[in-house]
Amino acid sequence: MNRSVHWRTRTAAAAAAALSLGVLAACSSSSSSSGSAPASSSAPGASSAAATASNSAATGTVSTSSCGTKPGVAATGTPINIGAINTKQPGTDFSDIENMTGAYFACVNANGGINGHPIKYFPVTEQTSPPQIASLAKQLVTTDHVVGIMGNSSIIECSVDAAYWKSVGIEVLGAGIDPECYSTPNTASVNMGPRYSSDGAVQYVMAQGASKIAFDQSNVPGTAYIAAGPNALAKAKGVPIQDFTENVPITSANALATKLVTAAGPSGAVVLNFTPPEALLILQAAQKLNLENRVKYWACSTPCNTDFLATSLGQKWNNKLFVNAELLPLDGNTTQTAQLFDAILKQYGTNVSGGVGSFSEMGFTIGEIATHALESVTGPYTIASVSAALKSVSNYNTGMLCQGYTYGNYSLHIPNNMDYTVTPDNGKFVQASTGGGCTLISADDPQIAAYRAAAGTAPAVG
Amino acid sequence: MPSWAEFQPYIVTGLALGGLYALSGVGLVVLYRATGVLNLAFGAVGAMGAFIAYSIIKAGNPGWVGWITCILFAGVVTLGYGMLFGPALAGRGPLVQSISTLGLALVLFGAIDLAWPTSGGQSPSISFPTDNGGFTVGQLQVTWTQVIALGLGIVITVGTGAFLRYSKLGTAMRAMANDRVITATLGVPIRRVEAAAWLGCGLLSGIAGIMLADLSALDDTTLVFTVVISSLAAALIGRLRSISVTFVAALVIGLVHDLITPITQLTNYQDMTPFVLATIALLVMSRGQVMTRSREEG
Repeated sequence: MNRSVHWRTRTAAAAAAALSLGVLAACSSSSSSSGSAPASSSAPGASSAAATASNSAATGTVSTSSCGTKPGVAATGTPINIGAINTKQPGTDFSDIENMTGAYFACVNANGGINGHPIKYFPVTEQTSPPQIASLAKQLVTTDHVVGIMGNSSIIECSVDAAYWKSVGIEVLGAGIDPECYSTPNTASVNMGPRYSSDGAVQYVMAQGASKIAFDQSNVPGTAYIAAGPNALAKAKGVPIQDFTENVPITSANALATKLVTAAGPSGAVVLNFTPPEALLILQAAQKLNLENRVKYWACSTPCNTDFLATSLGQKWNNKLFVNAELLPLDGNTTQTAQLFDAILKQYGTNVSGGVGSFSEMGFTIGEIATHALESVTGPYTIASVSAALKSVSNYNTGMLCQGYTYGNYSLHIPNNMDYTVTPDNGKFVQASTGGGCTLISADDPQIAAYRAAAGTAPAVG
Repeated sequence: MPSWAEFQPYIVTGLALGGLYALSGVGLVVLYRATGVLNLAFGAVGAMGAFIAYSIIKAGNPGWVGWITCILFAGVVTLGYGMLFGPALAGRGPLVQSISTLGLALVLFGAIDLAWPTSGGQSPSISFPTDNGGFTVGQLQVTWTQVIALGLGIVITVGTGAFLRYSKLGTAMRAMANDRVITATLGVPIRRVEAAAWLGCGLLSGIAGIMLADLSALDDTTLVFTVVISSLAAALIGRLRSISVTFVAALVIGLVHDLITPITQLTNYQDMTPFVLATIALLVMSRGQVMTRSREEG
């Protein structure tokens, strides 16, 4: 009897300990889940048109001295304070974006600055806590006295701070994730974000003849908003689409890959909207189980566009997996923009931990546009003058995007709505040979239609 | 509701995962029986070993060097923890002893995040040569890795059962599970027995870590928490005593978890599987005990 009671006591205590682990895991899992919203984030892209536009030096002659107006002369004027907020937490780290924007600004500062003024950059990070994010925004404005917010990329920052930015008159330039980054008047992004990037992936496989779509994404807030885009496109073309959401981190990728292949069928396509680690899990599971050819196509929103993923997958996925790409593909690219990117990354990007990739490209593009806007300010640098300069950016050729970049004065901002499609090629991502060039995201997505009605359709550059 | 044919592929994937849950669960039970400690750092130690293996393999070394390093690392770290903190915590209650291992888990969890950051969209992974080989059963593709996972679960369970029953060390462990003081009085070197239990548990966590890194994901959250919860649930269903019940429970958890996959209404709840099954099992078992005690008292 005593022994039995003893065991019951010990078991109960152990169960309590296990329960505490469960609670801890739930917390951790939730941060990781949100973490995968980024999966939903979107990013890079490709642009041979844009590439060609700025293509003149094909031999690596561009150095960092070309990022400012006075090569080699450090700026010494009154600093222009600029801030940025990025998500940085276990499983989700977007800080390469603000780090690369900071690297671009450092390059500008070392080469004449902005009309002689150096940019003083205040990059901060958050952990998906709304009170923390709101507090950081106020700190940047009231304590650090920033006159612009350039380089934001956060899972929920746009939704938390949109009203505040509007109230203080700040126009934000960032790399968006949540819906408010694209549907509010005071924020514009250089990337397409998860919804429009997924649109691009679905649009591509439908154009190649996929007869059914299995669209899967991580189970995070905003999935219905994201899925609405691909569903609208599929419905307009009469292609059946089935939506799935998965808790992340994924614990049984083999089962998941099997489910998606079964849903898409032999003439269909599986389209994924996940962070690279989760997408890689699903694709590798499909490969292990020989499922990759059980559907006609596999596709991914932008986050999959990293060489790491292409290397990990191997040759079986060449021309089988197609990834939406929003920014210039850098592999083997010798445009001036690509060379400047490399030079800045090498000289100033020591804290860009991911190196070449979607996030650093986005940070670079933000740096370009921000510098272009700030250089146009003629009087003192205030919130009002910097915001006005940003809103005046029109059809600016970044060399990184398919289209010229326009900020404008609109109630919603989707300035990047033309993309490339890339496919793995022996460890690299290259532009897909069929239909991989700059392609407008279909206005069958009502949000795209609304933006074009307000801002028009920017043509391809180049 | 999906058809039977649609469920079939998930039997294979579920059994493979269940095999590894079983292996992990057995490791937890053996240590608990010998020392009274529920090792909540089981997943974290294996996870760190797997990340180290990843770095070793990425540096160009043969895969087996990484796998063995992972297992040895897990064994040494667990043994070190047991030897360092075990004696000091021996007089405390089981709850304190178990929660202290949670401290080790969190330290390792933080260290993994620092040493292998996820920035830049890169994702580490581990794969075995056996991933690319296998056979088909009807329409089902079965990889050798899945077979090995299930096989390891069976072999470890049977081997551990035989070890506990027939070896001198195993007998000492069982004796300590019943009464540590009397066992010590009888001259059993309890420190040495505990060390063996810590080491064995650590080696099993290394094996589970490297296998799950391939079959599930080389992801710290997954390995430290999500997957280990399934093993803990299986061990609890086995009341932290029976390795055979733990084995069966682990297989059932793995199977149910994956069989839910094609049921779209339930997919997002499949991570609840270990909690739900453990709760049901514990309720049913405690109900049986209440009825037995009622009869005894009546």
